[in-house]
Amino acid sequence: MEEKRVLVVDDEEQIRDVLKEAFTMQGYEVATAESGEEALKIMRQNPCWVLFLDLNMPGMNGIELCREIRKNWPMAVLFAVTGYVSLFELTDCRDAGFEDYFTKPVSFANLFAAADHAFAKLERWKYN
Amino acid sequence: MKLLISDDNPALLRLLQGTLRDLDYDVVSTHDGSQAFELLIQPDGPQLALIDWMMPGVDGVTLCRKLRSQQDIRPLYLILLTARDNKEDILEGLNAGADDYITKPFDSNELYARIAVGRRLIDTQNEMAAQQKFQGALEMSGTVCHEMNQPLQILFSNSELLLQNLPESDPAFKKLKTIKDNIERLGTLTRKIMSISSYASKSHLNGKRQIIDLENSGTDF
Repeated sequence: MEEKRVLVVDDEEQIRDVLKEAFTMQGYEVATAESGEEALKIMRQNPCWVLFLDLNMPGMNGIELCREIRKNWPMAVLFAVTGYVSLFELTDCRDAGFEDYFTKPVSFANLFAAADHAFAKLERWKYN
Repeated sequence: MKLLISDDNPALLRLLQGTLRDLDYDVVSTHDGSQAFELLIQPDGPQLALIDWMMPGVDGVTLCRKLRSQQDIRPLYLILLTARDNKEDILEGLNAGADDYITKPFDSNELYARIAVGRRLIDTQNEMAAQQKFQGALEMSGTVCHEMNQPLQILFSNSELLLQNLPESDPAFKKLKTIKDNIERLGTLTRKIMSISSYASKSHLNGKRQIIDLENSGTDF
Protein backbone atom coordinates (compact mmCIF):
# COMPACT_ATOMS: atom_id res chain seq x y z
CA MET A 1 0.00 0.00 0.00
CA GLU A 2 1.16 3.49 -0.73
CA GLU A 3 2.38 5.48 2.20
CA LYS A 4 -0.25 7.69 3.75
CA ARG A 5 0.68 11.33 3.31
CA VAL A 6 -1.06 14.16 5.07
CA LEU A 7 -0.57 17.87 4.54
CA VAL A 8 -0.84 20.17 7.56
CA VAL A 9 -1.33 23.85 6.78
CA ASP A 10 -1.09 26.40 9.60
CA ASP A 11 0.67 29.72 9.80
CA GLU A 12 1.89 28.97 13.33
CA GLU A 13 5.15 27.00 13.38
CA GLN A 14 4.61 25.44 16.79
CA ILE A 15 1.32 23.96 15.64
CA ARG A 16 2.85 22.56 12.46
CA ASP A 17 5.72 21.05 14.45
CA VAL A 18 3.65 19.32 17.11
CA LEU A 19 1.10 17.97 14.63
CA LYS A 20 3.89 16.72 12.37
CA GLU A 21 5.48 14.88 15.28
CA ALA A 22 2.17 13.34 16.33
CA PHE A 23 1.16 12.16 12.85
CA THR A 24 4.66 10.81 12.19
CA MET A 25 4.55 8.78 15.39
CA GLN A 26 1.19 7.44 14.28
CA GLY A 27 2.77 6.15 11.07
CA TYR A 28 1.89 8.88 8.58
CA GLU A 29 4.13 10.78 6.20
CA VAL A 30 3.69 14.46 6.91
CA ALA A 31 4.20 17.53 4.77
CA THR A 32 3.63 20.99 6.22
CA ALA A 33 2.97 24.42 4.77
CA GLU A 34 2.70 27.78 6.46
CA SER A 35 0.45 29.36 3.85
CA GLY A 36 -2.08 28.60 1.14
CA GLU A 37 0.43 29.47 -1.53
CA GLU A 38 3.01 27.07 -0.08
CA ALA A 39 0.36 24.35 0.23
CA LEU A 40 -0.54 24.66 -3.45
CA LYS A 41 3.13 24.44 -4.41
CA ILE A 42 3.45 21.19 -2.46
CA MET A 43 0.27 19.81 -4.02
CA ARG A 44 1.54 20.56 -7.51
CA GLN A 45 4.84 18.75 -6.86
CA ASN A 46 3.58 15.77 -4.88
CA PRO A 47 -0.08 15.86 -3.90
CA CYS A 48 -1.38 14.72 -0.53
CA TRP A 49 -4.90 13.37 -0.46
CA VAL A 50 -5.69 14.14 3.15
CA LEU A 51 -5.25 17.71 4.36
CA PHE A 52 -5.70 19.62 7.60
CA LEU A 53 -6.16 23.35 7.05
CA ASP A 54 -6.13 26.21 9.53
CA LEU A 55 -8.82 28.65 8.46
CA ASN A 56 -7.42 31.91 9.75
CA MET A 57 -4.22 32.53 7.79
CA PRO A 58 -2.84 35.74 6.32
CA GLY A 59 -2.95 35.88 2.54
CA MET A 60 -5.09 33.03 1.23
CA ASN A 61 -7.35 31.83 4.02
CA GLY A 62 -8.36 28.20 4.62
CA ILE A 63 -11.71 28.48 2.87
CA GLU A 64 -10.19 29.87 -0.32
CA LEU A 65 -7.45 27.26 -0.20
CA CYS A 66 -10.00 24.47 0.16
CA ARG A 67 -11.93 25.70 -2.87
CA GLU A 68 -8.73 25.87 -4.91
CA ILE A 69 -7.62 22.38 -3.90
CA ARG A 70 -11.05 20.83 -4.53
CA LYS A 71 -11.07 22.45 -7.96
CA ASN A 72 -7.74 20.95 -9.02
CA TRP A 73 -7.63 17.79 -6.93
CA PRO A 74 -11.27 16.77 -6.48
CA MET A 75 -10.32 13.51 -4.75
CA ALA A 76 -8.63 15.33 -1.86
CA VAL A 77 -10.28 15.02 1.55
CA LEU A 78 -9.94 18.21 3.57
CA PHE A 79 -10.45 18.99 7.24
CA ALA A 80 -10.81 22.46 8.71
CA VAL A 81 -9.08 23.18 11.99
CA THR A 82 -10.00 26.54 13.43
CA GLY A 83 -9.80 28.64 16.55
CA TYR A 84 -13.25 30.09 16.01
CA VAL A 85 -16.70 28.62 16.61
CA SER A 86 -19.73 29.86 14.77
CA LEU A 87 -22.59 28.56 12.72
CA PHE A 88 -21.57 30.84 9.87
CA GLU A 89 -18.12 29.38 9.66
CA LEU A 90 -19.38 25.81 9.73
CA THR A 91 -21.73 26.31 6.79
CA ASP A 92 -19.03 28.23 4.87
CA CYS A 93 -16.76 25.26 5.39
CA ARG A 94 -19.26 22.74 4.16
CA ASP A 95 -19.96 24.89 1.12
CA ALA A 96 -16.25 25.17 0.34
CA GLY A 97 -15.91 21.38 0.36
CA PHE A 98 -14.51 20.52 3.75
CA GLU A 99 -15.20 16.98 4.88
CA ASP A 100 -15.34 17.98 8.54
CA TYR A 101 -14.54 20.79 10.89
CA PHE A 102 -12.61 20.80 14.17
CA THR A 103 -12.20 23.59 16.69
CA LYS A 104 -8.94 24.20 18.51
CA PRO A 105 -7.77 22.75 20.75
CA VAL A 106 -8.40 19.45 18.93
CA SER A 107 -7.17 16.11 20.28
CA PHE A 108 -4.97 13.66 18.37
CA ALA A 109 -7.72 11.07 18.70
CA ASN A 110 -10.03 13.24 16.60
CA LEU A 111 -7.36 14.04 14.03
CA PHE A 112 -6.19 10.44 13.66
CA ALA A 113 -9.74 9.13 13.38
CA ALA A 114 -10.42 11.68 10.66
CA ALA A 115 -7.26 10.76 8.76
CA ASP A 116 -7.89 7.03 9.13
CA HIS A 117 -11.44 7.29 7.79
CA ALA A 118 -10.29 9.49 4.94
CA PHE A 119 -7.62 7.03 3.83
CA ALA A 120 -10.03 4.11 4.15
CA LYS A 121 -12.43 6.00 1.91
CA LEU A 122 -9.72 6.80 -0.65
CA GLU A 123 -8.71 3.12 -0.69
CA ARG A 124 -12.33 2.11 -1.36
CA TRP A 125 -12.70 4.67 -4.14
CA LYS A 126 -9.64 3.25 -5.86
CA TYR A 127 -11.26 -0.14 -6.21
CA ASN A 128 -14.74 1.01 -7.26
CA MET B 1 -36.61 57.22 37.91
CA LYS B 2 -34.70 60.25 39.13
CA LEU B 3 -36.17 63.58 38.14
CA LEU B 4 -34.52 66.94 38.64
CA ILE B 5 -36.61 70.07 39.08
CA SER B 6 -34.64 73.22 38.61
CA ASP B 7 -36.81 76.16 39.57
CA ASP B 8 -36.45 79.04 42.03
CA ASN B 9 -40.14 79.09 43.01
CA PRO B 10 -40.65 77.12 46.24
CA ALA B 11 -44.43 77.07 45.81
CA LEU B 12 -44.09 75.38 42.45
CA LEU B 13 -41.72 72.83 43.91
CA ARG B 14 -44.16 72.02 46.70
CA LEU B 15 -46.99 71.70 44.18
CA LEU B 16 -45.13 69.22 42.02
CA GLN B 17 -43.00 67.18 44.41
CA GLY B 18 -45.82 65.36 46.20
CA THR B 19 -47.54 64.12 43.07
CA LEU B 20 -44.30 63.31 41.31
CA ARG B 21 -43.15 61.18 44.22
CA ASP B 22 -46.53 59.41 44.16
CA LEU B 23 -45.94 58.76 40.48
CA ASP B 24 -42.75 56.98 41.48
CA TYR B 25 -40.21 59.62 40.57
CA ASP B 26 -37.21 60.15 42.78
CA VAL B 27 -37.34 63.96 42.91
CA VAL B 28 -34.24 66.09 43.35
CA SER B 29 -34.62 69.83 43.34
CA THR B 30 -32.42 72.84 42.96
CA HIS B 31 -33.05 76.54 42.36
CA ASP B 32 -29.72 77.17 40.72
CA GLY B 33 -28.78 76.50 37.10
CA SER B 34 -25.12 75.73 37.79
CA GLN B 35 -26.06 73.26 40.48
CA ALA B 36 -28.52 71.66 38.05
CA PHE B 37 -25.71 71.27 35.55
CA GLU B 38 -23.46 69.60 38.09
CA LEU B 39 -26.21 67.21 39.10
CA LEU B 40 -27.14 66.28 35.53
CA ILE B 41 -23.62 65.46 34.39
CA GLN B 42 -23.09 62.95 37.22
CA PRO B 43 -22.86 59.39 35.87
CA ASP B 44 -25.59 58.31 38.29
CA GLY B 45 -27.53 61.57 38.24
CA PRO B 46 -31.07 62.25 37.03
CA GLN B 47 -31.78 61.76 33.33
CA LEU B 48 -35.12 63.60 33.39
CA ALA B 49 -35.19 67.30 34.14
CA LEU B 50 -37.78 70.03 34.46
CA ILE B 51 -35.92 73.27 33.93
CA ASP B 52 -37.21 76.74 34.51
CA TRP B 53 -36.19 79.22 31.86
CA MET B 54 -35.52 82.03 34.30
CA MET B 55 -33.03 81.03 36.92
CA PRO B 56 -30.21 82.77 38.72
CA GLY B 57 -26.75 81.86 37.53
CA VAL B 58 -27.14 79.73 34.45
CA ASP B 59 -30.59 80.16 32.85
CA GLY B 60 -32.64 77.30 31.44
CA VAL B 61 -31.73 77.77 27.79
CA THR B 62 -28.03 78.11 28.52
CA LEU B 63 -28.24 75.03 30.71
CA CYS B 64 -29.75 73.05 27.85
CA ARG B 65 -27.04 74.27 25.49
CA LYS B 66 -24.26 73.39 27.95
CA LEU B 67 -25.68 69.93 28.55
CA ARG B 68 -26.05 69.14 24.86
CA SER B 69 -22.45 70.11 24.17
CA GLN B 70 -21.15 67.55 26.68
CA GLN B 71 -19.44 64.46 25.24
CA ASP B 72 -19.99 61.02 26.71
CA ILE B 73 -23.06 61.93 28.69
CA ARG B 74 -25.97 59.62 29.39
CA PRO B 75 -29.30 60.18 27.60
CA LEU B 76 -31.12 63.22 29.04
CA TYR B 77 -34.68 64.42 28.58
CA LEU B 78 -35.04 68.15 29.22
CA ILE B 79 -38.34 69.96 29.63
CA LEU B 80 -38.23 73.75 29.70
CA LEU B 81 -40.74 75.48 31.96
CA THR B 82 -41.44 79.06 31.16
CA ALA B 83 -43.84 81.96 31.13
CA ARG B 84 -42.71 82.89 27.61
CA ASP B 85 -44.92 81.63 24.86
CA ASN B 86 -43.98 83.47 21.71
CA LYS B 87 -42.66 81.44 18.81
CA GLU B 88 -39.09 82.82 18.78
CA ASP B 89 -38.58 81.86 22.38
CA ILE B 90 -40.07 78.43 21.87
CA LEU B 91 -37.73 77.87 18.92
CA GLU B 92 -34.78 79.15 20.90
CA GLY B 93 -35.53 76.68 23.67
CA LEU B 94 -35.93 73.70 21.37
CA ASN B 95 -32.88 74.60 19.30
CA ALA B 96 -30.85 74.95 22.46
CA GLY B 97 -31.57 71.29 23.14
CA ALA B 98 -34.77 71.11 25.13
CA ASP B 99 -36.83 68.01 24.30
CA ASP B 100 -40.11 69.64 25.26
CA TYR B 101 -41.52 72.92 26.34
CA ILE B 102 -44.37 73.84 28.65
CA THR B 103 -45.69 77.30 29.30
CA LYS B 104 -46.89 78.64 32.65
CA PRO B 105 -49.54 78.56 33.86
CA PHE B 106 -49.71 74.91 32.95
CA ASP B 107 -52.13 72.10 33.50
CA SER B 108 -50.49 69.73 36.00
CA ASN B 109 -51.89 66.65 34.34
CA GLU B 110 -50.43 67.74 31.04
CA LEU B 111 -47.07 68.23 32.73
CA TYR B 112 -47.16 64.76 34.26
CA ALA B 113 -48.11 63.25 30.91
CA ARG B 114 -45.21 65.00 29.20
CA ILE B 115 -42.81 63.88 31.89
CA ALA B 116 -44.03 60.30 31.32
CA VAL B 117 -43.19 60.66 27.63
CA GLY B 118 -39.67 61.57 28.65
CA ARG B 119 -39.49 58.67 31.05
CA ARG B 120 -40.43 56.18 28.31
CA LEU B 121 -37.85 57.63 25.96
CA ILE B 122 -35.09 57.51 28.56
CA ASP B 123 -35.97 53.90 29.43
CA THR B 124 -35.68 52.91 25.78
CA GLN B 125 -32.41 54.76 25.29
CA ASN B 126 -30.89 53.24 28.43
CA GLU B 127 -31.90 49.78 27.30
CA MET B 128 -30.37 50.27 23.87
CA ALA B 129 -27.14 51.58 25.36
CA ALA B 130 -26.90 48.57 27.65
CA GLN B 131 -27.51 46.20 24.73
CA GLN B 132 -24.83 47.89 22.64
CA LYS B 133 -22.34 47.71 25.47
CA PHE B 134 -23.06 44.05 25.95
CA GLN B 135 -22.80 43.28 22.25
CA GLY B 136 -19.44 45.01 22.20
CA ALA B 137 -18.24 42.95 25.13
CA LEU B 138 -19.44 39.73 23.49
CA GLU B 139 -17.66 40.51 20.25
CA MET B 140 -14.46 41.30 22.07
CA SER B 141 -14.62 38.14 24.09
CA GLY B 142 -15.18 36.15 20.88
CA THR B 143 -12.03 37.61 19.38
CA VAL B 144 -10.03 36.98 22.53
CA CYS B 145 -11.19 33.35 22.64
CA HIS B 146 -10.18 32.86 19.05
CA GLU B 147 -6.69 34.15 19.85
CA MET B 148 -6.47 32.00 22.97
CA ASN B 149 -7.26 28.82 21.08
CA GLN B 150 -3.95 28.96 19.24
CA PRO B 151 -1.70 28.65 22.31
CA LEU B 152 -4.24 26.24 23.81
CA GLN B 153 -3.79 23.96 20.81
CA ILE B 154 -0.02 24.09 21.17
CA LEU B 155 -0.18 23.37 24.89
CA PHE B 156 -2.72 20.58 24.44
CA SER B 157 -0.90 18.78 21.66
CA ASN B 158 2.45 18.97 23.41
CA SER B 159 1.00 17.58 26.62
CA GLU B 160 -0.67 14.79 24.63
CA LEU B 161 2.67 13.93 23.04
CA LEU B 162 4.47 13.89 26.38
CA LEU B 163 1.83 11.67 27.93
CA GLN B 164 1.99 9.20 25.05
CA ASN B 165 5.66 8.54 25.71
CA LEU B 166 5.39 8.32 29.50
CA PRO B 167 4.48 5.20 31.48
CA GLU B 168 1.71 5.68 34.02
CA SER B 169 4.12 4.68 36.76
CA ASP B 170 6.29 7.70 36.04
CA PRO B 171 5.94 10.37 38.76
CA ALA B 172 5.44 13.06 36.15
CA PHE B 173 2.51 11.27 34.53
CA LYS B 174 -0.13 12.41 37.01
CA LYS B 175 0.92 16.05 36.83
CA LEU B 176 1.05 16.02 33.05
CA LYS B 177 -2.41 14.49 32.94
CA THR B 178 -3.66 17.28 35.19
CA ILE B 179 -2.13 19.83 32.86
CA LYS B 180 -3.74 18.23 29.82
CA ASP B 181 -7.14 17.94 31.48
CA ASN B 182 -7.17 21.58 32.49
CA ILE B 183 -6.14 22.73 29.06
CA GLU B 184 -9.10 20.77 27.76
CA ARG B 185 -11.27 22.59 30.29
CA LEU B 186 -10.03 25.92 28.97
CA GLY B 187 -10.88 24.77 25.45
CA THR B 188 -14.42 23.94 26.50
CA LEU B 189 -14.70 27.34 28.12
CA THR B 190 -13.54 29.24 25.06
CA ARG B 191 -15.99 27.26 22.93
CA LYS B 192 -18.83 28.09 25.28
CA ILE B 193 -18.04 31.78 25.29
CA MET B 194 -17.88 31.91 21.54
CA SER B 195 -21.22 30.14 21.11
CA ILE B 196 -23.15 32.65 23.09
CA SER B 197 -25.32 34.76 20.86
CA SER B 198 -28.19 35.47 23.18
CA TYR B 199 -27.79 35.51 26.91
CA ALA B 200 -29.40 34.91 30.19
CA SER B 201 -28.07 36.77 33.16
CA LYS B 202 -28.38 36.42 36.86
CA SER B 203 -27.97 39.20 39.40
CA HIS B 204 -25.54 39.31 42.22
CA LEU B 205 -27.00 39.27 45.72
CA ASN B 206 -26.95 43.07 45.97
CA GLY B 207 -29.02 43.29 42.79
CA LYS B 208 -26.70 45.70 41.09
CA ARG B 209 -24.24 43.67 39.06
CA GLN B 210 -25.14 41.15 36.44
CA ILE B 211 -23.03 38.21 35.34
CA ILE B 212 -23.54 36.04 32.33
CA ASP B 213 -25.02 32.65 33.10
CA LEU B 214 -23.02 30.40 30.79
CA GLU B 215 -25.02 27.31 31.60
CA ASN B 216 -28.33 28.72 30.48
CA SER B 217 -27.16 31.01 27.72
CA GLY B 218 -28.50 30.27 24.28
CA THR B 219 -26.28 28.89 21.57
CA ASP B 220 -26.41 29.08 17.82
CA PHE B 221 -27.68 25.56 17.20
